[in-house]
Amino acid sequence: MANKSTKTMFIGLGILLAVILLAVGYFFWQQNKAEELELSGYVGGEKINFLDNPEVQKILQKDYGFRLDISKAGSLDMVQADDLDGRDFLWPSSQTALELYESLHGRPKKEENIFNTPIVLYSREYVAKGLVKAGIVEKREDVYWVDMPKLVQAMKDNKKWSDLGLERLHGSLAVHTTDPAKSNSGNMFSGLTANMLADNQLADENNIQKVLPELENIFAKIGYMETSSSNLFNLFLSTGMGNKPIVAGYENQLLELSKMEPDTWERAKGDIVIMYPEPTVWSSHILIALNDRGARLIEALQDERLQKIAWEEHGFRTGMYGNQVSDHDFDVPGVAEEITRIIQMPNYKTMRQIIKSFS
Amino acid sequence: MKTPGKFKRLALILALFSFLISAVSCSPFLNRFNEKPDGADSFFAGKSKNDTVRIVSGSENKVLEPIIEDFTKKSGIGVSITYMGSLDIMRLLEADTIPYDAVWPASGLWISVGDQKHRIKHQASTSTTPVIFGIKKSVAEELGFTNGKDVYVKDILKAIQDEKLRFTMTSATQSNSGASAYIGFLYALLGSPEHISVEDLHKTDLQNQVRSLLAGVERSSGSSNWLKDLYLAGDYDAMVNYEALIIDANVRLEEEGREPMYAVYPVDGMMIADSPLGFVSDNGEKNRDEKTAEENFQKLQDYLLTPEAQERIEASGRRTGLNEVNPKFDKVFRQDWGIRKDALISTINMPRQDVLFEALNLYQREFKKPGFNIFVLDFSGSMQGSGYDELIEALGELMIDEKAKANFLQTSDEEINFFIPFATDVQPFLQAKGNAELEALYEKIKAYTPNGGTALYEALDEALAIMEEADLSAYSPSIVLMTDGQPNGDMNFKDFNRRYLDLNKDIPVFTILFGQAKEDEMGRIAQVSRAKVFDGKENLTRAFRSVRGYN
Repeated sequence: MANKSTKTMFIGLGILLAVILLAVGYFFWQQNKAEELELSGYVGGEKINFLDNPEVQKILQKDYGFRLDISKAGSLDMVQADDLDGRDFLWPSSQTALELYESLHGRPKKEENIFNTPIVLYSREYVAKGLVKAGIVEKREDVYWVDMPKLVQAMKDNKKWSDLGLERLHGSLAVHTTDPAKSNSGNMFSGLTANMLADNQLADENNIQKVLPELENIFAKIGYMETSSSNLFNLFLSTGMGNKPIVAGYENQLLELSKMEPDTWERAKGDIVIMYPEPTVWSSHILIALNDRGARLIEALQDERLQKIAWEEHGFRTGMYGNQVSDHDFDVPGVAEEITRIIQMPNYKTMRQIIKSFS
Repeated sequence: MKTPGKFKRLALILALFSFLISAVSCSPFLNRFNEKPDGADSFFAGKSKNDTVRIVSGSENKVLEPIIEDFTKKSGIGVSITYMGSLDIMRLLEADTIPYDAVWPASGLWISVGDQKHRIKHQASTSTTPVIFGIKKSVAEELGFTNGKDVYVKDILKAIQDEKLRFTMTSATQSNSGASAYIGFLYALLGSPEHISVEDLHKTDLQNQVRSLLAGVERSSGSSNWLKDLYLAGDYDAMVNYEALIIDANVRLEEEGREPMYAVYPVDGMMIADSPLGFVSDNGEKNRDEKTAEENFQKLQDYLLTPEAQERIEASGRRTGLNEVNPKFDKVFRQDWGIRKDALISTINMPRQDVLFEALNLYQREFKKPGFNIFVLDFSGSMQGSGYDELIEALGELMIDEKAKANFLQTSDEEINFFIPFATDVQPFLQAKGNAELEALYEKIKAYTPNGGTALYEALDEALAIMEEADLSAYSPSIVLMTDGQPNGDMNFKDFNRRYLDLNKDIPVFTILFGQAKEDEMGRIAQVSRAKVFDGKENLTRAFRSVRGYN
């Protein structure tokens, strides 16, 4: 009997202990949960995959207590959006977007460049080879380099594809971009093109009036413009060469595709090429913190592990990674090791005139 | 000391039971609604409507329903789909409240134009298919479109203008394929310029040409899959539609021993639909569990993008991946039907948004063949209350110019509308030409009080009599019966059927139903006249707009 009652007692104690442990556990879990912050913000489409990466989410959640609720929006669209209440941050892709934000709302709580990627042109082997023959593109080692002054001149002269020997393509030579008034990659390509039209110098307040009609004519050829870089890139991939022979985008988009969708990339590899404009412009992915919560996100995103993932998985060149790319492990031919011929974007006042002409 | 053993067994049995119960309750009880003979405009797979992903989709995705059903079987997550034209989806995105979890239009263009509030997330293309011409093979041969030479849009337009080709297309202001065809026509008629400007659209020469071209449209439709059904039900020479639906139609045509269509891809281009599926965040519904909805949505999207599902989608005649066709599907993408397998399909550049919208407004107001519509309105006693209210509200969407304009449903100056109110007796008809007269009639119609019996066939007979006397050659005629009630006059369906066949004119008789209507009988009216029955009980206005897409 004594034996049995002792046993019962132990069982009772065991249950009690378990309940206590559970309660304590629950308490701490609740504490932890209460500390988790949900941050809401607009993000340029090209960074969605990075933020959706489970590894990135884990680091943000475990070490920083953040859960992100993001909506995709064009860089220029988001800084002009009228529903910024309740948002903690904006993550556009350029200095111009930041300056536009500042002109509308004043200085943000904090802003910081998280990583960079150059503007490149995506096309197909057939087009790249044809443009090499036409003298607009040059292949040095494995890399295609676009002679930007020549390309812009040809577009300005209303050249047809067939004039350049590309008989399989219908219509006029054109580079499809996103809407320069709404999305950053298109905006930057318009800035770059404006520089070329300003005699290959920086377009500014003095020469922009002369440049604008030519710039508008070049962009009018592409008609409706997408508002997101990722949509444009996906359309480029899925709708074939006849639809969008050349598109402007970010270098990271293809690098990321090769990692995230290896099957698709395997099928596309022989045909799809990166061409680097010479000169080109750098897109800086600047995070704009709208409040203290957003400012804490800036710190988090500078975490070395996140910066490493940003380069290795998503192809963003960062301060720490991606500067020397000779040893990169992307299965992508023709990635430039170093991009030296860079031109500045026109200043904000000039860009504002360009944006105005497109809206 | 056998007790513990007993308990163990009992516990085991209980566990087994609960497992069985949960297994049974998890297994999806598949159900399909709305499989009416006239072609469903919605779809549902799952157990209950509570835990469902609600999609609003272009009708071209109807063919993918079996794949969705398999997803439901595997995941236990229900899926409901409401079909409407892509431009209607665009307009839906502009609303504060969107009663859906996901959108699936034919082209991402309509999301980027409509989603001004940036509520669409996780947007990804599920497949692509170009908009092309399907032309009855013998006709295509006669016109010289099958010998491998380049065909331009203007060549096809010439055949239409010379009355060698009678073709159908969807409404350019409701459906993506129609919009894309229409814009393609504009480029061709303007002599393939670099781009189209608003000024171009107002050139008299262009306007005359577009008008005469659209006068050659035999019948229009609000959405692409309905157009395919219409083609199958009728005897037309050609349609502008998605490659995927032309393949689908050809399979059916061959099964029925009829002549298939030959696919013609104009070299100056139409458009490629990229079928993007996107999640609607912040959809404005108060009681929505967005997190669960988003998780369920992502499971569905992930499923559709698995290699297995993608292969099944490709087997249905859509292109996946990089727009090239896997040789495995040579028997789907048949060369003898003119289907091309390469990825080099040229497309037009959609005009800038302001030009596009101006073009769409002109289509509705100026270009399309003016409608000759007879609305047969039920004011019998049972319409009192909500039936009357809904009817009046819906008519407002059409008759009040400001509202109609917002939906691209304006009445052109040439359009003629008749209204035949009826109850126990058929009332004298009301008539309006153009939108000013139409708007003026609205108050008069509002003044009718529902009362008495339902002389439905008598009223239809009156409508057919008006049609018989009218010269319809320059119009797109339709009859729209708006009723809730069971006919109880002296005439019956047989009388209608005889009269309709004697008349021998291609006039659709649509029905918009409310209340306790006799669906079978209205279905027969629609079948005879190759039209549709719409359910106005849930959203009469939308049904009404769908009807309008046909003219």
